Amino acid sequence: MLIELNHVTRLYGIVIGVNDITLDLPEGAHGLLGPNGAGKTTLLNLITGQLRPTIGSVRVLGQSPRGNPELFRRIGYLPGTEGMYADVSALEWVTYLTRIQGYSAAEAARLAEQALERVRLTEHMHRKISAFSRGMRQRTRLAQAIAHEPDFLILDEPFSGLDPIARHTMTTLLQDWIERKRSLLISSHVLHEIESLTRSFLLISGGRLLASGSTDEIGSLLSNMPSEVRLKVQSPRQLAAELLQGGLAETVSIEGERDLRLTTVSAGRLSEFLGQAISEGRYLITEMRSTEDSLQDVFNSLMKLHRGLA
Amino acid sequence: MNTLRRIPAVFAFEWRRALTIPRMGWMLALAALPPLLLFLIRMAARSDPPPDVAAVLVYVLSPCVACMMSVFLWSTPAVSSELEGRSWTYLSVRPHGTLAVLLGKYLVGVSWALPVGLLSAIIGSLVITQNDLPRLIATQCALATLSCVAYGAVFLLIGVIAPARAMVLGVIYAIVFEVAAAFIPAAINLLTIQHRLRCLLVRWMGMDMSIAEESPVLLAYFGEESAAWHVFLLIVMTAGYLVVAALLLRYREFTAAAETAT
Repeated sequence: MLIELNHVTRLYGIVIGVNDITLDLPEGAHGLLGPNGAGKTTLLNLITGQLRPTIGSVRVLGQSPRGNPELFRRIGYLPGTEGMYADVSALEWVTYLTRIQGYSAAEAARLAEQALERVRLTEHMHRKISAFSRGMRQRTRLAQAIAHEPDFLILDEPFSGLDPIARHTMTTLLQDWIERKRSLLISSHVLHEIESLTRSFLLISGGRLLASGSTDEIGSLLSNMPSEVRLKVQSPRQLAAELLQGGLAETVSIEGERDLRLTTVSAGRLSEFLGQAISEGRYLITEMRSTEDSLQDVFNSLMKLHRGLA
Repeated sequence: MNTLRRIPAVFAFEWRRALTIPRMGWMLALAALPPLLLFLIRMAARSDPPPDVAAVLVYVLSPCVACMMSVFLWSTPAVSSELEGRSWTYLSVRPHGTLAVLLGKYLVGVSWALPVGLLSAIIGSLVITQNDLPRLIATQCALATLSCVAYGAVFLLIGVIAPARAMVLGVIYAIVFEVAAAFIPAAINLLTIQHRLRCLLVRWMGMDMSIAEESPVLLAYFGEESAAWHVFLLIVMTAGYLVVAALLLRYREFTAAAETAT
């Protein structure tokens, strides 16, 4: 098992960082998703042994991570904060960290060069880190995490602050990593960033694990949740009445002359009905928008489900 | 043993990083300060001060002030600089990484402070007097070495105990314990490095302690033990501080994550 969390809770005084998470994660690639402040970094700090759980236990690759040199040989970690020495070159920095990993000077330099080549920084590896762009720094940080060929790579928001080209480069590098059958846990607050890497997600919010599984599994969990739809229609009152009568809307709210806001548990049936109504010319709908397409809304829905409010 | 293999890596890396002109300038200024002050004292006195007075003056300015300040600047921020720079995380997920960094930085601090102490002790001795120079220089160099090693460990420990307030606590410790408490002829001064170094100065310079023998207060001030005992205690104290710092590092949680307040 890659990660085993058993009722893990981490408190900072009276503030809850992570709240009673139980989880068994098999080897492979997984995405840790959650809005800012959800507890992702705390969870990663627990997994990398930097923090002790207040309650519960953490095991990574079958071992307790706290102060465990054996485990540290097998994991690579890219923290969410930069923390690089600006006054040294990329090669010096990666070599230094690889030496601390336990390699001889010559071996560490060889592994560092190899890692920097993999992140496509060979050309620039003798330049000072202070002269690097954000994307180059991220790739250097990735190089230090993979230089010692770990079995399990943990990345905390690796796409943060990257431009589209740098994002694409990072995605390609991580896809290579996954293709080599190595395990990966990648945190992000943006779903599409990690959708191209894995279909296995952990959804965390407010320190709680709201859901875990594939996108389909999470989708089916949400299928019975009411979703909100906004329409701009010429005769909103008439449409609202018809939707309520037909059982296609749970709640309706008319705002102004043309705005209709409704919630439905039958999104499929609703779109079928509206499509037909438009084609028959019964309603003139100029705009239709689902407000629940952002990750935050998915979290809000899951949070309601979690609290039994849905 | 695993940690020991990593210490040279930290030592070499930190030394290379430290080799900057401003830092070397600061160290040279610190080394030059005691000889300059001793020169001014010598000029004002217009004659060779008595040997014991000369020894005390060099001791106060070099092994005490210059060495203490040098290692203070190096050892105290050993942990806090990594935490503030958020580089700590990279070290804490490596086998024995943080311990290697702690001890490696301690050695870097001592190795930078030592030339400052030795240089200031040698030049300071040459400036202040021509009497019994070999003995004076040998004594001051030995005291400077012990001072760097012992104070380096104390300041390192302070840096581990309270990384967020390390520099402030370091100054408070130096003033309260090594300056004030060390001069109180009671049990508390036995715990200070200053007391041990002072006792060694008296013994190694062969100072006349006949007055102290008649006064219990002065006896407590200069001690009765042999020089070897004081050296042994300084080594034990240094090792003790380093072990406590290493243990704290092992069991306390240090994380650069902004949300962590522990």
